[in-house]
Amino acid sequence: MTITQILEAVQTSGLATGIKNSLLLFPLLEAAHVIALGLVFGTIMIVDLRLLGIASTNRPYSRVSADMLKWTWAAFALAVLTGSLMFTTNARVYFDNTFFRFKFALMALAGLNMLVFQLTAARRSADWDDSRAAPPLGKAAAVASLVLWVLVIGMGRAVGFTTTGAAAKETAPPSSIDFDDFLNSGPSSRPAAPPAAPGG
Amino acid sequence: MKDFANWIAATPPSVWIQTHEAWVMPTVQSIHITAIGVVLACVLMMALRVLGYAGADQTLVQTQQRFGPWLTGALWLLLGTGLILVVGEPARELVSFSFWAKMTLVVMGVAIAFGFKRQLASLGPDAETSLDGRGWTKVMAVVTLLIWIAVVVLGRLIAYDNVWGALSPASRA
Repeated sequence: MTITQILEAVQTSGLATGIKNSLLLFPLLEAAHVIALGLVFGTIMIVDLRLLGIASTNRPYSRVSADMLKWTWAAFALAVLTGSLMFTTNARVYFDNTFFRFKFALMALAGLNMLVFQLTAARRSADWDDSRAAPPLGKAAAVASLVLWVLVIGMGRAVGFTTTGAAAKETAPPSSIDFDDFLNSGPSSRPAAPPAAPGG
Repeated sequence: MKDFANWIAATPPSVWIQTHEAWVMPTVQSIHITAIGVVLACVLMMALRVLGYAGADQTLVQTQQRFGPWLTGALWLLLGTGLILVVGEPARELVSFSFWAKMTLVVMGVAIAFGFKRQLASLGPDAETSLDGRGWTKVMAVVTLLIWIAVVVLGRLIAYDNVWGALSPASRA
């Protein structure tokens, strides 16, 4: 089975068809995705601001982090679930979308950033737990985290604008604006959907 | 409202956004969503503190002082980016049920946040003993959370206002 066949099977599955045929399901999945990603970003930001010494400075870093991260992971799980369900409705278009790929590359970088932080500055957090701010390596990780997650949100919104979600499917008419062409400076194999469609 | 929306759509700022909408709208919406994240996290953390699921080492006043200003800042950012979105697509926003339902809930959410802050201030040193762990405070924490969740849902539904059927003014146009 090639990747195209797998994606084709995903988007013609009963699950995908069920979501596409419902007036409300896709918008509600999108809304739940916004709530989930908002909480992922917002709770991560609280920890990042603590690392930078900007907020929650009256609490030890370990306390803030322990208080927050379970909610971050719960929200992340909801984002993965809702994101996956939206993906099934238009798997091939999403998979080929340049912004979609950028978004996942940026999330991988955010994950890597977290891993490096956990293996370096966080490992010696006992030394600076009560300090106003983390050492330079911790601050750098916090800045990188904030920048990466803001970019992830931007890419996610761009995905919505260039794929138009459930409404467009693959029967969308060719548009004069093709974002893939902007980035690849070459013709896309598939017509992009109009940017002003409901999914935007 | 339809006439007002049409009038806005003809103003120079609106025309400028419309001619650059391919990047202006996604960019402004992304900033809007980022600010929503800050609002949701602030509201969640204050609610969790009241409900006893987070911030156990912090008093109610400390929790409000930590998250209140960020909530206010994010709400201003939402107002600013929201105004740009309305100017850019006036009919889509102003002639929709979801938008006005959302605005109503935003006013309620802001009023509750302000009320909480004022109550903490007016009670002074007694705030913790008279509010913390009380049933009414916990109910308001849950209500606030639900209001802001509904705000996000309604915000997304602006793009799909037809789901409201006859309630949507666009369906009558």
